[in-house]
Amino acid sequence: MNDKPKIVGFLCNWCSYEGADRAGEARLKYPANLRTVRVMCSGRVEPEFVIQAFREGASGVLILGCHPGDCHYKAGNYKAKRRIDLLRNMLDQFGIERERVRLDWVAASEGEKFAKVANEMAETIDRLGPLKL
Amino acid sequence: MEDRIGVFVCECGPNIGATIDVASIIEEVKGIEGVVIAKPHKLLCSKDGLEFLKEEIKANNLNRIVAAACTPKQYEQLFMRACESVGLNPYLFQMTNIREQCAWVTENNEEATEKAKSMVIAAINRVKKQEPLEKRAIETSPDVLVIGAGVAGLEATLTLAQKHRRVYLLEKAPCIGGIGAMLEEVYQTMECAPCMLAPELQEVLQRDNIEPMTYSELEDVVGSFGNFTVKIRKKARYVDEEACIGCNACFEPCPVDVPNSYNAGLSQRKAIYLPYAGALPNIPLIDREHCKRFAGEDCTLCEQSCAFGAIKYDDEDEIIEKKAGAVILAVGATMIELGSLEKYGYGKYDNVYTALELERLNASNGPTGGKILLKDGSKPKSIAFIYCVGREKIGYCSGICCMYSVKLANHMMDKLPGVSIYSLYSDLCLPKKESQRIYDRIMDRGIAFLRSNETERVSSNGNKLVIHYGTGSATRKLEVDMVVLSPAMVPNPDIVKFSELFDIPLDDMGFFTEEHALMKPFATPLEGIYIAGCCQGPKDIGDSVSQGSAAAGKILSRLIPGEKLELETKVASIDEEKCSGCSVCIALCPFSAISRDVEKEVSAVDETLCRGCGTCVAACPSGAATARHFTSEQIFEEIKGVLK
Repeated sequence: MNDKPKIVGFLCNWCSYEGADRAGEARLKYPANLRTVRVMCSGRVEPEFVIQAFREGASGVLILGCHPGDCHYKAGNYKAKRRIDLLRNMLDQFGIERERVRLDWVAASEGEKFAKVANEMAETIDRLGPLKL
Repeated sequence: MEDRIGVFVCECGPNIGATIDVASIIEEVKGIEGVVIAKPHKLLCSKDGLEFLKEEIKANNLNRIVAAACTPKQYEQLFMRACESVGLNPYLFQMTNIREQCAWVTENNEEATEKAKSMVIAAINRVKKQEPLEKRAIETSPDVLVIGAGVAGLEATLTLAQKHRRVYLLEKAPCIGGIGAMLEEVYQTMECAPCMLAPELQEVLQRDNIEPMTYSELEDVVGSFGNFTVKIRKKARYVDEEACIGCNACFEPCPVDVPNSYNAGLSQRKAIYLPYAGALPNIPLIDREHCKRFAGEDCTLCEQSCAFGAIKYDDEDEIIEKKAGAVILAVGATMIELGSLEKYGYGKYDNVYTALELERLNASNGPTGGKILLKDGSKPKSIAFIYCVGREKIGYCSGICCMYSVKLANHMMDKLPGVSIYSLYSDLCLPKKESQRIYDRIMDRGIAFLRSNETERVSSNGNKLVIHYGTGSATRKLEVDMVVLSPAMVPNPDIVKFSELFDIPLDDMGFFTEEHALMKPFATPLEGIYIAGCCQGPKDIGDSVSQGSAAAGKILSRLIPGEKLELETKVASIDEEKCSGCSVCIALCPFSAISRDVEKEVSAVDETLCRGCGTCVAACPSGAATARHFTSEQIFEEIKGVLK
């Protein structure tokens, strides 16, 4: 059985969730330890979602939204950026490596980018190992 | 009520079935609390599959459903409708994507099955926390306020006016038609603008369900999509619109002469006047600033000349309140202020004109009756058009100046046989389908195109105007009788007022920000407020008309007389008991959907404006904001599940 450290991916409904679907349609592969959760906007991602994911056993959290300027709700992704940057600073103080949280932009057409980000994140978390709280 | 959850796992033929061990998922979830049945199906989206789903819901009295299948982007709506058809609230359905985001992307089948199990568990966890949501609909006013009676506003008005719908057409000028009605001939058809527009203008004035309000301005607006209340100031005209028959006998006796701004100051008008001959509505007005009577003199000459008792010196501004379901802003644009561009000599030398001034000189209803004359009354023998005036300063191409300059040059050739015409340009922008032919034609007529790259400087040798252009040793001189500047198009200064009144952001060029530059160029981020014409960005008559029509079409499809307006279901709500009144959410909302309830000192969501992004929910420090169907609790449960 696969006991690789798990990653939770929060995907915005309009771009990144579609991007993940494109990766699937193209049969691109990435590790099964990435588990996705759909949210309407990356701006919906509360820092608590990230903390909760770690608390429930995730070793990494990926937040993906529309590219800057492309947000379906105008600027939710900018709000996400501000929030996640602050959260990453805070994680340092908790002794959690900031690389365990990654915010990136994946457009609805970018299946390849999605798979690339997913694979890179999986490598990062493999390298860091499971998160021990 | 006790949970009776049904879990349905679609094999999608081999697409899921060949990778994921569906039977083991069924086994795994069967024991979960609340799960009444768990069944596989070969193809859940098929007719058979949907019937199967409905039958199972009925037979097992299921009250929550999980479907593990393909992407919700494909069939979520279909499954939700199936649930609804058997009396189950569609928001008690949850779908998880074990095809695109699991079976198709996972190399190892065992790992795929493991992942799919956790995804199904996450969906079961989530669906337990889901709440039935009802579609909401509100009563609305089908009436529409259109602001600006230029070509975009006119087209929108005519498209919207129909049975059971009134359109209020607001125009700050005393007449309708905007800049279009002041032109003689138009690019690219080269037809007469008044002839082209007259039927539209007359229809606007005569149709039953259109209420034109000229010489009027918007004072205030409250409400939101479906139900705006607007306050309009109808300025005193001092002429009774009902009584006046438009004979214009009152002009002659008026002792006042003022330069007529509608003729670019090139002719005089009286204190009681029409902007230009043929302006509609054909009802004069008194210019209070210049009228002798309002300056304290005892002049009643216009009143004496009126056979219909239409002069009303005691007329007053009137505040009119109207209700409207939607608003179209078509407030137009203007030309860049030339005072800041001294090198062109505008205002300094007599025969430097703007293109709009030449349009008026060229117009048969203009100051010279259509004759092209220099200030000394003689005909010019040479004319230079300078393109791109001010482009560098504003930082964008206005896109229409090349077209109208080429058109004007062509007309000058017609009107002034033997005239020499020069066009000093930087980049030619002639995008319409007729343009190449028009350009070829005027090249054949001998119009010289000289590339000057915005280096022009205009001076005078006492006799002629001299244009210096080019740089360094390549500097050239050109002597002409008349210089015509084609100035960049900039937003109307009024746009700031409208931006503030409606809370619509302006872009860095000062035009209204559209909801999406390509997909929704006629909409603003605010539901129910649409934009058309040059207030969104420079455009020609055809594009303005298209946009006016598009904005109107959007309203026609949403505000249907006699029908309620259906609203987004998955919106945010704020619990006023928990809200601390910090107002963080108000600043974050991209759609201005949250406002402060001053009495209760809390934030409140306007559900007609909210689109459900959840940004306010993520930011609320007191947990007072909730995103319906994407609550924190639901997401937490999902997180717990996917990590199983």
